[in-house]
Amino acid sequence: MKVLNAIAIVLLSFAFGPAHAQAPSDPQIAGIVVTANQIDIDAGKLAVANTKNNEVSKFAQQMITDHTAVNNQAAALVKKLNVKPEESDTSRSLMGGAKDNMTKLHGLKGAEFDRAYIDHEVAYHQQVLDAIDKVLIPNSKNAELKDLITKVRPAIAAHLEHAKMVQSSLKK
Amino acid sequence: MRGKSILSAAALAAALGAPPVQPAGKPHTVTIEGMKFAPERIEVAVGDTITWINKDFLPHSVTAPAARLESGDLASNQSWKFSARKKGEIDYICRLHPVMRGVIVAK
Repeated sequence: MKVLNAIAIVLLSFAFGPAHAQAPSDPQIAGIVVTANQIDIDAGKLAVANTKNNEVSKFAQQMITDHTAVNNQAAALVKKLNVKPEESDTSRSLMGGAKDNMTKLHGLKGAEFDRAYIDHEVAYHQQVLDAIDKVLIPNSKNAELKDLITKVRPAIAAHLEHAKMVQSSLKK
Repeated sequence: MRGKSILSAAALAAALGAPPVQPAGKPHTVTIEGMKFAPERIEVAVGDTITWINKDFLPHSVTAPAARLESGDLASNQSWKFSARKKGEIDYICRLHPVMRGVIVAK
Protein backbone atom coordinates (compact mmCIF):
# COMPACT_ATOMS: atom_id res chain seq x y z
CA MET A 1 0.00 0.00 0.00
CA LYS A 2 3.02 2.29 0.10
CA VAL A 3 2.54 3.15 -3.58
CA LEU A 4 -0.94 4.35 -2.81
CA ASN A 5 0.26 6.22 0.25
CA ALA A 6 2.88 8.01 -1.83
CA ILE A 7 0.28 9.21 -4.32
CA ALA A 8 -2.10 10.17 -1.51
CA ILE A 9 0.61 12.29 0.16
CA VAL A 10 1.27 14.11 -3.13
CA LEU A 11 -2.44 14.76 -3.63
CA LEU A 12 -2.92 15.99 -0.07
CA SER A 13 0.07 18.32 -0.24
CA PHE A 14 -1.26 19.89 -3.45
CA ALA A 15 -4.74 20.23 -1.99
CA PHE A 16 -3.34 22.83 0.40
CA GLY A 17 -1.96 24.94 -2.41
CA PRO A 18 1.45 25.99 -3.71
CA ALA A 19 2.49 27.51 -0.40
CA HIS A 20 2.69 24.02 1.06
CA ALA A 21 4.11 22.05 -1.86
CA GLN A 22 6.38 22.76 -4.75
CA ALA A 23 4.74 21.99 -8.09
CA PRO A 24 6.58 19.29 -10.04
CA SER A 25 8.53 20.46 -13.09
CA ASP A 26 7.84 19.01 -16.54
CA PRO A 27 10.88 16.66 -16.37
CA GLN A 28 9.64 15.47 -12.95
CA ILE A 29 6.11 14.98 -14.32
CA ALA A 30 7.58 12.96 -17.21
CA GLY A 31 9.49 10.91 -14.60
CA ILE A 32 6.30 10.29 -12.58
CA VAL A 33 4.41 9.21 -15.75
CA VAL A 34 7.13 6.75 -16.80
CA THR A 35 7.49 5.35 -13.26
CA ALA A 36 3.74 4.95 -12.72
CA ASN A 37 3.41 3.07 -16.01
CA GLN A 38 6.44 0.85 -15.36
CA ILE A 39 5.05 -0.13 -11.94
CA ASP A 40 1.85 -1.40 -13.54
CA ILE A 41 3.76 -3.20 -16.32
CA ASP A 42 5.86 -5.04 -13.71
CA ALA A 43 2.82 -5.99 -11.61
CA GLY A 44 1.07 -7.18 -14.79
CA LYS A 45 4.01 -9.40 -15.74
CA LEU A 46 3.97 -10.99 -12.28
CA ALA A 47 0.22 -11.59 -12.55
CA VAL A 48 0.45 -13.15 -16.03
CA ALA A 49 3.14 -15.52 -14.72
CA ASN A 50 1.25 -16.44 -11.53
CA THR A 51 -2.49 -16.42 -12.13
CA LYS A 52 -4.58 -19.31 -13.37
CA ASN A 53 -7.68 -17.12 -13.68
CA ASN A 54 -8.45 -16.29 -17.32
CA GLU A 55 -10.03 -12.88 -16.57
CA VAL A 56 -7.14 -11.82 -14.33
CA SER A 57 -4.66 -12.99 -16.96
CA LYS A 58 -6.39 -11.08 -19.78
CA PHE A 59 -6.59 -7.94 -17.64
CA ALA A 60 -2.93 -8.18 -16.63
CA GLN A 61 -1.82 -8.72 -20.24
CA GLN A 62 -3.81 -5.65 -21.29
CA MET A 63 -2.12 -3.59 -18.57
CA ILE A 64 1.28 -4.66 -19.93
CA THR A 65 0.26 -3.78 -23.51
CA ASP A 66 -1.42 -0.44 -22.74
CA HIS A 67 1.07 0.91 -20.20
CA THR A 68 3.94 -0.08 -22.51
CA ALA A 69 2.22 1.86 -25.30
CA VAL A 70 1.85 4.89 -23.00
CA ASN A 71 5.51 4.73 -22.04
CA ASN A 72 6.50 4.44 -25.72
CA GLN A 73 4.48 7.61 -26.40
CA ALA A 74 6.11 9.32 -23.42
CA ALA A 75 9.59 8.22 -24.58
CA ALA A 76 8.94 9.59 -28.08
CA LEU A 77 7.72 12.90 -26.64
CA VAL A 78 10.61 13.46 -24.23
CA LYS A 79 13.02 12.67 -27.07
CA LYS A 80 11.25 15.19 -29.31
CA LEU A 81 11.22 17.82 -26.58
CA ASN A 82 14.78 16.98 -25.56
CA VAL A 83 13.66 16.56 -21.97
CA LYS A 84 15.16 13.99 -19.62
CA PRO A 85 12.63 12.51 -17.16
CA GLU A 86 13.80 13.37 -13.65
CA GLU A 87 13.39 11.52 -10.40
CA SER A 88 11.45 13.24 -7.66
CA ASP A 89 10.31 12.38 -4.16
CA THR A 90 7.06 11.19 -5.73
CA SER A 91 8.68 8.87 -8.29
CA ARG A 92 11.05 7.50 -5.61
CA SER A 93 8.12 6.88 -3.24
CA LEU A 94 6.23 5.17 -6.05
CA MET A 95 9.14 2.85 -6.74
CA GLY A 96 9.55 2.05 -3.03
CA GLY A 97 5.86 1.30 -2.66
CA ALA A 98 5.84 -0.83 -5.79
CA LYS A 99 8.68 -2.92 -4.39
CA ASP A 100 6.66 -3.58 -1.22
CA ASN A 101 3.59 -4.51 -3.27
CA MET A 102 5.59 -6.92 -5.41
CA THR A 103 7.09 -8.53 -2.29
CA LYS A 104 3.58 -9.02 -0.90
CA LEU A 105 2.29 -10.47 -4.18
CA HIS A 106 5.27 -12.86 -4.41
CA GLY A 107 4.13 -14.38 -1.10
CA LEU A 108 0.62 -15.16 -2.33
CA LYS A 109 -0.84 -17.90 -4.51
CA GLY A 110 -4.08 -18.83 -6.27
CA ALA A 111 -7.23 -16.92 -5.39
CA GLU A 112 -5.42 -14.92 -2.68
CA PHE A 113 -2.93 -13.66 -5.26
CA ASP A 114 -5.71 -12.81 -7.74
CA ARG A 115 -7.68 -10.82 -5.16
CA ALA A 116 -4.64 -8.94 -3.86
CA TYR A 117 -3.46 -8.08 -7.39
CA ILE A 118 -6.88 -6.87 -8.58
CA ASP A 119 -7.69 -5.00 -5.35
CA HIS A 120 -4.41 -3.14 -5.72
CA GLU A 121 -5.10 -2.43 -9.41
CA VAL A 122 -8.47 -0.86 -8.52
CA ALA A 123 -6.96 1.35 -5.82
CA TYR A 124 -3.86 2.18 -7.90
CA HIS A 125 -5.78 3.28 -11.00
CA GLN A 126 -8.13 5.42 -8.87
CA GLN A 127 -5.18 7.15 -7.23
CA VAL A 128 -3.37 7.64 -10.56
CA LEU A 129 -6.55 9.13 -12.00
CA ASP A 130 -6.73 11.56 -9.06
CA ALA A 131 -3.05 12.44 -9.51
CA ILE A 132 -3.63 13.11 -13.23
CA ASP A 133 -6.53 15.45 -12.47
CA LYS A 134 -5.09 17.26 -9.45
CA VAL A 135 -1.33 17.29 -10.04
CA LEU A 136 -0.07 16.16 -13.43
CA ILE A 137 -2.41 17.99 -15.85
CA PRO A 138 -2.66 21.26 -13.86
CA ASN A 139 1.13 21.51 -13.45
CA SER A 140 2.28 20.46 -16.94
CA LYS A 141 3.66 23.54 -18.63
CA ASN A 142 4.51 22.09 -22.02
CA ALA A 143 1.36 21.81 -24.16
CA GLU A 144 2.40 18.48 -25.73
CA LEU A 145 3.13 16.93 -22.33
CA LYS A 146 -0.24 18.14 -21.04
CA ASP A 147 -1.90 16.80 -24.20
CA LEU A 148 -0.28 13.37 -23.78
CA ILE A 149 -1.45 13.08 -20.16
CA THR A 150 -4.92 14.28 -21.16
CA LYS A 151 -5.06 11.60 -23.87
CA VAL A 152 -3.92 8.92 -21.43
CA ARG A 153 -6.59 9.81 -18.85
CA PRO A 154 -9.51 7.94 -20.56
CA ALA A 155 -7.35 4.79 -20.72
CA ILE A 156 -6.67 4.96 -16.98
CA ALA A 157 -10.40 5.50 -16.34
CA ALA A 158 -11.24 2.48 -18.55
CA HIS A 159 -8.60 0.37 -16.77
CA LEU A 160 -10.19 1.32 -13.44
CA GLU A 161 -13.64 0.18 -14.61
CA HIS A 162 -12.14 -3.00 -16.11
CA ALA A 163 -10.34 -3.75 -12.83
CA LYS A 164 -13.61 -3.23 -10.91
CA MET A 165 -15.34 -5.63 -13.33
CA VAL A 166 -12.73 -8.33 -12.70
CA GLN A 167 -12.81 -7.59 -8.93
CA SER A 168 -16.56 -8.11 -8.96
CA SER A 169 -16.22 -11.41 -10.88
CA LEU A 170 -13.72 -12.68 -8.26
CA LYS A 171 -16.29 -12.17 -5.48
CA LYS A 172 -18.87 -14.43 -7.14
CA MET B 1 -24.49 -15.97 -65.58
CA ARG B 2 -25.53 -12.76 -63.88
CA GLY B 3 -22.74 -13.19 -61.30
CA LYS B 4 -20.25 -13.73 -64.10
CA SER B 5 -21.42 -10.53 -65.81
CA ILE B 6 -20.87 -8.52 -62.64
CA LEU B 7 -17.43 -10.05 -62.19
CA SER B 8 -16.55 -9.31 -65.81
CA ALA B 9 -17.75 -5.73 -65.47
CA ALA B 10 -15.69 -5.28 -62.30
CA ALA B 11 -12.63 -6.82 -64.00
CA LEU B 12 -13.09 -4.55 -67.00
CA ALA B 13 -13.53 -1.49 -64.79
CA ALA B 14 -10.37 -2.42 -62.86
CA ALA B 15 -8.45 -2.94 -66.10
CA LEU B 16 -9.56 0.48 -67.30
CA GLY B 17 -8.48 2.11 -64.05
CA ALA B 18 -12.04 2.90 -62.98
CA PRO B 19 -12.81 3.20 -59.24
CA PRO B 20 -13.85 -0.07 -57.57
CA VAL B 21 -17.55 -0.82 -57.30
CA GLN B 22 -18.80 0.68 -54.03
CA PRO B 23 -21.00 -1.42 -51.75
CA ALA B 24 -24.66 -0.46 -51.87
CA GLY B 25 -26.27 1.40 -48.96
CA LYS B 26 -25.48 4.51 -47.03
CA PRO B 27 -22.07 4.86 -45.37
CA HIS B 28 -21.82 5.52 -41.60
CA THR B 29 -18.79 6.16 -39.41
CA VAL B 30 -18.16 5.26 -35.77
CA THR B 31 -15.10 6.96 -34.31
CA ILE B 32 -13.19 5.18 -31.56
CA GLU B 33 -11.62 7.89 -29.42
CA GLY B 34 -11.01 8.49 -25.73
CA MET B 35 -11.85 4.81 -25.03
CA LYS B 36 -15.38 5.28 -26.39
CA PHE B 37 -17.35 4.39 -29.51
CA ALA B 38 -18.93 7.56 -30.90
CA PRO B 39 -21.79 7.35 -31.45
CA GLU B 40 -22.30 4.53 -28.96
CA ARG B 41 -25.63 3.65 -30.60
CA ILE B 42 -25.87 3.77 -34.35
CA GLU B 43 -29.06 3.21 -36.32
CA VAL B 44 -28.66 2.04 -39.91
CA ALA B 45 -30.74 0.49 -42.66
CA VAL B 46 -30.09 -3.10 -43.73
CA GLY B 47 -27.39 -2.95 -46.42
CA ASP B 48 -25.74 0.19 -45.03
CA THR B 49 -22.02 0.07 -44.34
CA ILE B 50 -20.50 1.14 -41.01
CA THR B 51 -16.83 2.06 -40.82
CA TRP B 52 -15.11 2.11 -37.42
CA ILE B 53 -11.94 4.18 -37.29
CA ASN B 54 -9.60 3.98 -34.31
CA LYS B 55 -8.37 7.48 -33.40
CA ASP B 56 -6.85 6.34 -30.07
CA PHE B 57 -3.19 5.46 -29.75
CA LEU B 58 -4.14 2.15 -28.12
CA PRO B 59 -5.49 -0.75 -30.20
CA HIS B 60 -9.19 -1.60 -30.02
CA SER B 61 -11.60 -4.09 -31.52
CA VAL B 62 -15.25 -4.32 -32.55
CA THR B 63 -16.44 -7.61 -31.12
CA ALA B 64 -19.81 -9.32 -30.75
CA PRO B 65 -19.32 -13.10 -30.47
CA ALA B 66 -23.07 -13.83 -30.59
CA ALA B 67 -23.33 -12.02 -33.94
CA ARG B 68 -19.96 -13.41 -35.14
CA LEU B 69 -18.67 -9.86 -35.40
CA GLU B 70 -14.90 -9.56 -34.94
CA SER B 71 -12.74 -6.84 -36.41
CA GLY B 72 -9.47 -8.17 -35.06
CA ASP B 73 -7.15 -5.71 -33.34
CA LEU B 74 -7.39 -2.24 -34.92
CA ALA B 75 -4.18 -0.26 -34.50
CA SER B 76 -4.21 3.52 -34.28
CA ASN B 77 -5.80 5.06 -37.41
CA GLN B 78 -6.80 1.63 -38.72
CA SER B 79 -10.40 1.17 -39.84
CA TRP B 80 -12.81 -1.72 -40.32
CA LYS B 81 -16.10 -2.04 -42.24
CA PHE B 82 -19.25 -4.02 -41.64
CA SER B 83 -22.55 -4.16 -43.54
CA ALA B 84 -25.71 -5.06 -41.64
CA ARG B 85 -27.43 -7.87 -43.55
CA LYS B 86 -30.54 -8.30 -41.42
CA LYS B 87 -32.71 -6.29 -39.06
CA GLY B 88 -31.97 -6.36 -35.36
CA GLU B 89 -29.71 -5.07 -32.58
CA ILE B 90 -26.12 -6.08 -32.08
CA ASP B 91 -24.47 -5.23 -28.77
CA TYR B 92 -20.72 -5.08 -29.19
CA ILE B 93 -17.66 -4.36 -27.07
CA CYS B 94 -13.96 -3.75 -27.46
CA ARG B 95 -12.49 -7.20 -26.71
CA LEU B 96 -9.33 -5.56 -25.30
CA HIS B 97 -11.20 -3.05 -23.12
CA PRO B 98 -14.55 -4.70 -22.35
CA VAL B 99 -15.91 -1.61 -20.57
CA MET B 100 -16.17 0.02 -24.03
CA ARG B 101 -19.62 -0.78 -25.42
CA GLY B 102 -21.68 0.04 -28.49
CA VAL B 103 -24.92 -0.95 -30.20
CA ILE B 104 -25.78 -1.35 -33.88
CA VAL B 105 -29.49 -1.08 -34.67
CA ALA B 106 -30.30 -2.28 -38.18
CA LYS B 107 -33.82 -1.32 -39.31
